[in-house]
Amino acid sequence: MTPRRQTRRHHRRAVRGPLSALLTTVMLAAAATLTGCAGFGDTVPGCGDPLRLAIIAQSVPSASYLPCIRSLPQGWSTSGFDPSQDGTSFLLNSDRSPGQPVTVRLTATCTTGGAGPSPPRAPGVLTYTRLGSISPRFAGRLYDVFPGGCVSYTFDFALGSQIALMEQFEEAVGLYPRQQLRLVLKQKLGVELNP
Amino acid sequence: MSVPPVLGIITRADLTVLRAVATVRTAWLTHLMLDVNAALASPWTMRLVPWATIAVLVAFRRFRHLAAYLVIILAAALLVSVMTLEIGRMRPAGIGILGPWQGYAQPSRPVVTLALALVGVLYTLVPAGRWRNRGKWAAAAILAAFCAARLYLAVDHPTDQVTALIIGWPLAVVAFWLTVPNDAFPVSYRGGRKAHLDIGGRRGAAIVTALDHQLGLAVTGVEPCGLEASAGSTPLRIQVRGPDGGTTTLFGKLYALNHLRSDRWYKLARTVIYGRLEDEKPFSTVRRLVEYEDGLLRLMRDAGLPTPRPYGFAEITPEREYLIVMEFFEGAQEIRNAPVDDRVIDDALRVVRRMWDAGIAHRDIKPSNILVRDGHVLLIDVAFAAVRPTPWRQAVDLADMMLTLALASTPEHVYERALSVFAAEDVAEAFAACRSITIPNQLRSLMRADERHLTGRFRQLAPKRSPVPVQLWDIRRVAVTAGLIAALAAAVVLFDIYLSAAGLL
Repeated sequence: MTPRRQTRRHHRRAVRGPLSALLTTVMLAAAATLTGCAGFGDTVPGCGDPLRLAIIAQSVPSASYLPCIRSLPQGWSTSGFDPSQDGTSFLLNSDRSPGQPVTVRLTATCTTGGAGPSPPRAPGVLTYTRLGSISPRFAGRLYDVFPGGCVSYTFDFALGSQIALMEQFEEAVGLYPRQQLRLVLKQKLGVELNP
Repeated sequence: MSVPPVLGIITRADLTVLRAVATVRTAWLTHLMLDVNAALASPWTMRLVPWATIAVLVAFRRFRHLAAYLVIILAAALLVSVMTLEIGRMRPAGIGILGPWQGYAQPSRPVVTLALALVGVLYTLVPAGRWRNRGKWAAAAILAAFCAARLYLAVDHPTDQVTALIIGWPLAVVAFWLTVPNDAFPVSYRGGRKAHLDIGGRRGAAIVTALDHQLGLAVTGVEPCGLEASAGSTPLRIQVRGPDGGTTTLFGKLYALNHLRSDRWYKLARTVIYGRLEDEKPFSTVRRLVEYEDGLLRLMRDAGLPTPRPYGFAEITPEREYLIVMEFFEGAQEIRNAPVDDRVIDDALRVVRRMWDAGIAHRDIKPSNILVRDGHVLLIDVAFAAVRPTPWRQAVDLADMMLTLALASTPEHVYERALSVFAAEDVAEAFAACRSITIPNQLRSLMRADERHLTGRFRQLAPKRSPVPVQLWDIRRVAVTAGLIAALAAAVVLFDIYLSAAGLL
């Protein structure tokens, strides 16, 4: 190889290669993420993944039940999972109700004044519904109240599709018993959930 | 559900450390740690530092550093998001969490953000050397205080912070090394044009090697020269050892991708503001630019024009950096600094006449491109010259030369001398074609500083002639203008998306 060709090869490798590779990788990653193609999976923990549910339990240490995703019906997705020391919230999006997601929020307490009782969704849980409007939109709030906590579901659906959508999101969100999570964490990681 | 045993071991080890730290908890220490955490993890701090960094980079027009900074911040934000969701780790269990928290624990997002912000400042704003080294200690101290506070408050596990520090410091530093290596893109506040490249370090060595291997020149020294007059390349004075052992001085112009991009933007802006002048075509690559200049040097030399003798060009980095080498006019002075007598005026006008006869236009006639040696005019910087130009473009060359000469003399005298080389109608056409846009920047600013209205005086002296229109409205200009506005709007939208993705909003 001539010295000239050696020089060319060196520069391609030393200066151009890493920079191009880095920029290409980053841009592809950015494009994938921004277009939602990265496939990071659902952000809200599923009911079959108790280790991820632990963060929800930590957000409301008193809650005896934790909201989780049982199974998402066709056309539904989750987003905006936000656990913090003040509670946990996330969104349930349906392609039949674009721009109007169901907001699910776990807090230590909630006010159910004006809400009527509904069939309970789990043992030891009291379920209430309060409708803000029926027409032209079917909007309101559903509450699951249990010892130490409350899960509220704020919905706003178009008339006509509301019965199916209500059934679907209630079916999608399950309630995981804290006691069961405590046992799993002790068994799998050897840690106690609460101080 | 199966859990790797190592996860349990790591978690228990983390909690052992946190429990040990918790034994020193006292009321006043808790207050102090809450204050430290609140100050350093606050949204204000987390946004203020990156935004201030971006503002300084824009103010100093350090766009390569800015691009690297934005890309690295985005890459780190994406990496942290992916890792956080994939790992999905809980906060420390079995111990009282005293501070505020949000989201999964591993890696610690606030620690990554602060580390990245500090490293970003160090590697884009602080010059390498003593100041950067001091800055590293200061940044390390701030990070140490932040991590200690968060461990005390049991907001993070120790391993959450270790992972965050790896992403925010060593990984980020490597990314800065790769994208803006200090050898090639040093952080400096010494002034000077950003178009001028640093010729030390690896680039300096590559220049010497390339000139030896490709042009057979034994280089003994390379130094920048005439930087103040050059914006489109990095001019160099090159000392070369000849076969007889003597030393010769050559002139070099280092062209890089940024010069090409600047040229494109400059010509695009002119197209939008003035309409495309007929011969303003940007070069497609740096290689094309140097090939063109080298070819024109040879052509002008063959046409008997007093331009530097070409020595060819060397490839420093394929398709990115090229160095064109030519004769250095030893002992020549810029026309502004040389005595301008009739001999010089006549010679300068004859050079224009010779270009007209040879079918060439220089297109960048200005004082810094006209040298005088022993009463003879020498012409340099032929990169923008054109072969078989329009009569309009040749007329502009004459006007620019006469204006340059008039700065050192009087319009009346220059006009009188011009009539011995050109017809009065030629001069009239030259000043009918002369507009602000056709006058190079340096010449224009010198004319502004001169109290005489040179262009107007030449027009009075020459026969009457209607002005040659420069503003050309065509479909292309309209399309380019509309496209540019659309691109700006898209850039604003994309930047907004970027800010959300990078967590800077």
